Amino acid sequence: MKKRKAWLSFLAFLFIFGILTACGNNEEADSDEQSDEGESQEESILVGVMDTAPTGQFNPIFYEEAYEANILSFTHESLLTQNKKLEFEPLLAESWEFNEDHSSVTFKLRQDVYWHDGEQFTADDVVFTYKSIADPDYIKAGGVRTSYVTKLVGYEEYNSGETDEFPGVVAEDDFTVTFNFKEPNVIALADASFPIIPEHIFKDIPVIDMPSADESLLPNKVIGTGPYKFTQMIEGQEYHLTKNENYWQGEPQIEKVVWKVVNQDIILSLLEKGEIDFVADPNGFQAADYDKVDSMDHVKIIEQMDFGYQILGFIHNFRTEEDMENGVINPDNFVPNEKLADKRVRQAIAYAINRPYLIKGLLHDRGQVINSPIAKQFEYFDGENPEQYEFNPEKAKQLLDEAGYVDTNGDGFREDPNGNEWVLNMAYPKGNVIREKSAPIIEEMLEEVGININLLQPLDMSAYVEQLTNNTEWDLYLLGWSLSTTDPDPSGLWTAADAYNFGRWNNPEADALVQKAITPPNAFDSEFRKQVYSDWQVMFQDDLPALILYVKNTLYAYNTRLKGVNPSPASFLNDVHKWYLESEE
Amino acid sequence: MYQYIFRRILVFIPMLFALTIIVFALLKAAPGDPYSKILDPDLDPSVLEEAREAKGYNDPIPVQYFRWLSMAAQGDFGESIRYVGRDVSELILSRLPNTLYLGVFSLFVTLIVAIPIGIYSARNPYSPLDYFATGFGFFGLAVPNFFFGLVAIYLFAIQLGWFPSQGYISVSNSGGFGGFLDRLHHLVLPGLTLGLASTASYMRYMRSEVLTVLGSDYIRTARAKGLTERTVLYKHTLRNALIPIITLFGFEFGAIVSGAVITEGVFTFPGIGMLLLESIGNRDYPVIMALTLMFGLFILVGNLIADILYSIVDPRIRYD
Repeated sequence: MKKRKAWLSFLAFLFIFGILTACGNNEEADSDEQSDEGESQEESILVGVMDTAPTGQFNPIFYEEAYEANILSFTHESLLTQNKKLEFEPLLAESWEFNEDHSSVTFKLRQDVYWHDGEQFTADDVVFTYKSIADPDYIKAGGVRTSYVTKLVGYEEYNSGETDEFPGVVAEDDFTVTFNFKEPNVIALADASFPIIPEHIFKDIPVIDMPSADESLLPNKVIGTGPYKFTQMIEGQEYHLTKNENYWQGEPQIEKVVWKVVNQDIILSLLEKGEIDFVADPNGFQAADYDKVDSMDHVKIIEQMDFGYQILGFIHNFRTEEDMENGVINPDNFVPNEKLADKRVRQAIAYAINRPYLIKGLLHDRGQVINSPIAKQFEYFDGENPEQYEFNPEKAKQLLDEAGYVDTNGDGFREDPNGNEWVLNMAYPKGNVIREKSAPIIEEMLEEVGININLLQPLDMSAYVEQLTNNTEWDLYLLGWSLSTTDPDPSGLWTAADAYNFGRWNNPEADALVQKAITPPNAFDSEFRKQVYSDWQVMFQDDLPALILYVKNTLYAYNTRLKGVNPSPASFLNDVHKWYLESEE
Repeated sequence: MYQYIFRRILVFIPMLFALTIIVFALLKAAPGDPYSKILDPDLDPSVLEEAREAKGYNDPIPVQYFRWLSMAAQGDFGESIRYVGRDVSELILSRLPNTLYLGVFSLFVTLIVAIPIGIYSARNPYSPLDYFATGFGFFGLAVPNFFFGLVAIYLFAIQLGWFPSQGYISVSNSGGFGGFLDRLHHLVLPGLTLGLASTASYMRYMRSEVLTVLGSDYIRTARAKGLTERTVLYKHTLRNALIPIITLFGFEFGAIVSGAVITEGVFTFPGIGMLLLESIGNRDYPVIMALTLMFGLFILVGNLIADILYSIVDPRIRYD
């Protein structure tokens, strides 16, 4: 009797396992290749790695994260691409021509491009892609890329559902497409280089259902024009890409590229063992591991500047309670932050922070100091004229003394010019370990020159951004920005009414320069634009809405058996169709 | 008995209801929302505002709650925000089998290892194996999961190559018995890692319970009656010693579905634990709500099962 019970429970366990096995297998049923077993012998396979799984949204108009981008870089293409100097070059478009005032641009498309399923790529696909982003349901469906369409003619009418016509993007014939902007557009080429999705696949799927359609999620259903097809996935673990034999730039040499999701702590062990071939976008490997990776004989390192920087932001102004409530950003109502109102104080802080020390200590020297909020990769970056703020604590003290911030009660900290206690509240978010470590170091550096810092507890990012948006008591904040790789225009981050201008910096002169730099017709003259941006950068460094702390270097590593690697300034995944594997003897 | 179970299940309903209210209120009280983390200079914040409006996040909180509740009551948990376009139920169901696999495997290993060793230790206290088991117990409780996991990966996967280092299945898995073995093969390292601490604590519990019972009067009586040691142990000692273990098991059952955040992370085992962690970090409200409801339900069911098991193990406990 008792024995039987024991057996029954054992059988029950087996039964549960059996059911689970049966459930589990259905998911993998849609793999079309079952014959991969002795794979490495016959096929050439390249294994890439990322430390976080993609969310699984493989429709370019709906994806949001860099992990999906790793896959889409292989499968989808845009009309244009950027070269190493960040100039636009033809990709799916062969050539283009602007009209007189740069308010419209006409692209001639390649006639030899086919989708992964064999259909020909045409101008209708381009129109369809932009129409989908302009669709009334696009944001509701979860899309966020409307900045690519809002400047196009007829966007409002189409988006509100008033009309079915969208004159913003028009197919002149099968291989000619015209983008019509409401005004002359300095960044027309950037706006026209969104990855294209196939009309014939999506035309019967309403935009609201697009992100949940199999065609946006599943291998072999996701169709692009790129050098690789998305052919297989074990969700959260592996993503397989197989070469597109009919790729218009020639058949890729590597048969398969496999992305594996691997815990960050064991990536390097696998790289050393040769089980993975490259670690690259979006995070690369950590600076602390540089020597370890460098000592691996079969691994090569590429080090290049990141497109972005970390800042110590200064709160110049606060919004009024009322404006916060209504979600309005009105520079006319800004209330100045008296604690940092004196420019000399901000400059003193800039002098007091030893940025090379931060880079040496936290980034193991894999980074650099920059003194402009425009990415150094652009020709518009000015490395000479803006103030450089070399570390100089004496100068910092002198500036504070001049401004009247002196220690009057002998507690070691300076009081404000009226003799009142002067404490700066400094906030920082969790998430970026190096930034978290930098906060107490910066606190110490500032206390060194007599500034009393109240370092607040770190918050997680969602909470941090909300408080920063509705800030009432913070004075200093740490944050990082990733920058656009297509254009240096700093609006969005640094003009008075921008939501992301968390310091609420309000300098009408600077704002006028930002506007001038993108106002036609002069803005089409790159020398003119360069001069305007140079003036703006000088002003930025003088008025200091933020101190740019450092730019870290992105570190890519790859197995030397992979040849033809040619990263762009923004990504390792460049010209992937030219990659090949050194044949093993 | 059946009436008892039925009554218990009826009590679940208000409890789950209260749970959802509390979790919903806490979620809304926490600063930030699913869109506040998106910081992209290329992206006009008004788009995010429009998205909030479309999802109804600007409505009064009670309105939002009842909207969620009425949909949930119909079995619709909405769409994830972070996993754009993914149905919450589908997302959770796609992860649940991995988590159950891992949890059931590690629980199975835990029970098979811990109970016999615990009994042996109690019957032969201060024997070499008992000392070893005690040492192992402290080790298991003291070593952090992630560290044990990483060491295990380094030794058994990277150096010796006996087990896969990451993931839950091979690409070539084509189902059937071979597919089952492949999954087991992937389970060994994460399963042992996850089971380590609970094996240690079950073992300690088992040892001390059996020791207590062995020292009690009725065991002496049983021995005095001339019963064989075997009968004393299995019939009189074990039944009584199992009660606290069953309580633990009741909780463990709920914990199985909640996944193992750390172990899943170390082994890239795409399960519920990782999903929960990501969802909280991203304030993915629909996913968090559905998961909480599921955890609550499983904990309640686990405790119900434990209560039923009590009455099977110990005939003195009767429910009516």
